[in-house]
Amino acid sequence: MIETLLTPLEYDYMLKAIAVSGLIGGVCAFLSCFITLKGWSLMGDALSHSVVPGVAVAYALGWPFAAGAFGTGLLAAAGMAFVKTKTRLREDAVIGVVFTAFFALGLFLISIRPSSVDLRTIVFGNILGISDPDIVQVAIISGVTLAVLGLKWRDLRLFCFDANQARAIGLNVTVLHYMLLTLLSATAVAALQTVGACLVVAMLVTPGATAYLLTDRFERMIGLATAMGVGTSLAGAYASYFFDGSTGGCIVTLQSLLFILALIFAPKHGLRAARRRRRVAAHDFALEGGTRPPDAFSGLKQTRPEAGFHP
Amino acid sequence: MSTPSPIELQVNDVTVSYANGMVALRDASFRLTGGAICGLVGVNGSGKSTLFKAIMDFVRPARGTVLIGGRPVRAALKANLVAYVPQAEEVDWTFPVSVWDVVLMGRYGYMNFLRRPGAEDRSIAEESLARVGMLDFRERQIGELSGGQKKRVFLARALAQRSRVILLDEPFTGVDVTTETTIIELLRELRAAGHLMLVSTHNLGSVPEFCDQVVLINRTVLAAGPTEEVFTEANLARAFGGVLRHFRFDESTVQKHDGKAVTLLTDDERPLVFGKDGHLEYSRRAGHEQVVEQRAETEDDK
Ligand SMILES: Nc1ncnc2c1ncn2[C@@H]1O[C@H](COP(=O)(O)OP(=O)(O)O)[C@@H](O)[C@H]1O
Ligand SMILES: [Mg+2]
Repeated sequence: MIETLLTPLEYDYMLKAIAVSGLIGGVCAFLSCFITLKGWSLMGDALSHSVVPGVAVAYALGWPFAAGAFGTGLLAAAGMAFVKTKTRLREDAVIGVVFTAFFALGLFLISIRPSSVDLRTIVFGNILGISDPDIVQVAIISGVTLAVLGLKWRDLRLFCFDANQARAIGLNVTVLHYMLLTLLSATAVAALQTVGACLVVAMLVTPGATAYLLTDRFERMIGLATAMGVGTSLAGAYASYFFDGSTGGCIVTLQSLLFILALIFAPKHGLRAARRRRRVAAHDFALEGGTRPPDAFSGLKQTRPEAGFHP
Repeated sequence: MSTPSPIELQVNDVTVSYANGMVALRDASFRLTGGAICGLVGVNGSGKSTLFKAIMDFVRPARGTVLIGGRPVRAALKANLVAYVPQAEEVDWTFPVSVWDVVLMGRYGYMNFLRRPGAEDRSIAEESLARVGMLDFRERQIGELSGGQKKRVFLARALAQRSRVILLDEPFTGVDVTTETTIIELLRELRAAGHLMLVSTHNLGSVPEFCDQVVLINRTVLAAGPTEEVFTEANLARAFGGVLRHFRFDESTVQKHDGKAVTLLTDDERPLVFGKDGHLEYSRRAGHEQVVEQRAETEDDK
């Protein structure tokens, strides 16, 4: 039994896959706290699809895949910003138009040069077959992202919470904006390897969303999200050996399960807690005889004119 | 630093237009000096928030300049010269931050690049929370507060920032009377300490009570200066047009016997007026002749 459980760990490629997945899962989860609170979830989805043509071109030309992916990711972000300021289209329409354009171009490029890179690798990820140079790229991206987030998380939190206050104390909000956008593109590129373009957005949103249901403290949210991201990624990559299934599918399914558990059982923001609160409120109301004494003038401001009015 | 010269806020010919082409503010000019509470008064949509945003450089004016303490806005912000208390609608109340976190954010400008609060930051934040009476709530998530408490937390953040100019956007909207009194008291203390406060409101009644200066706006500055000079019926009629509600005593059911005992209750809407002994008065005699007749104590009351 124990031996069966340990078999995946005997394979070099499984060890690599599990370790890299855990690293990427953690980095994505850390970032997901900022992305969900800033309301950039859709942006994460868009960027993860927009990197596809860059990957295709990079592989065809023998460049590091991350360089190409990162390039088209930022190009897409710039494109969205441009279309948004120049037209009256709403933001979701702008994002939808631009990212599908990039994704379609990527699919097209891959289909005409099928030898250079497998479409399935990009769309669904192939962590089991990750090459050593790719591992190096992922490690560099993760290291830089973790360093920036670790040093600047308070500034980024302020930017997500109250960008005006960030400006008011003299922070450069434009820099913070592009910092977060760049980190988002970079992690989307890294996660592409593990779960594929389709599921990157889950890694960048679900852990943060789950942690948000569990706590009212930002620091704790980061801790919970990162722990869940690392845990589900390690477990998902490991478990995929036995099911012989898609690693990305396995990881994201685990993350979604945690989300559902949090949605139901979260101590304060879960469905059960909400029902309990409603019951307690109804109970209290009944105890008070179903009526509250009206609090007549308590909310009014009273002014007595000093000088008299003589009609 | 023993006797710093009073801080000055100068707004010169500021014009702001939004992306949709709408000119929210045209050629606004005024000048204020420290040790003052200035009311920024105008109807909803008159450009009060827009003027604040132009002063804070949140929106870039199409024309005109703002100088704070003689410096351009950017430099003034870097030097922590200005604090801003936002309108309630501009804040994300579901964000996972505590009252304490928010107040510490006022200190970021003084912290090193990691924004790790030092002992001084903590003691100033604590003192600021105590001044607005919110120290007991420091661990609360900000959404779990009443409207008045929320306002006080953001006021504490502005206090923690130790800025000489403080802009407050509609601080009295949706707050209880206690909070309003607390805020006004605090503004007076700050004025005594030489600060300059610019407070927007569409609540006319409270303005003469605590503002020594007034800027009246409606898409542009209509009048600016000491309250007694600016707060005239003619100016207010210009600023508010037909929006103002009237209670004219000579047309109402108030009679001579009510004398100086008239009580005015108002929640910013139409005032509720009570005569002597607390009976209800109507703003128009017409339709209430019977009431007038019944209450008449002497012949000349009618
Ligand atoms: N971001 C914006 N884009 C376009 N128009 C705006 C924007 N913000 C405010 N406005 C318009 O500018 C005018 C002034 O708004 P505002 O400064 O918020 O007024 P106030 O604070 O006095 O109620 C309003 O007519 C409002 O609709
Ligand atoms: Mg406003």
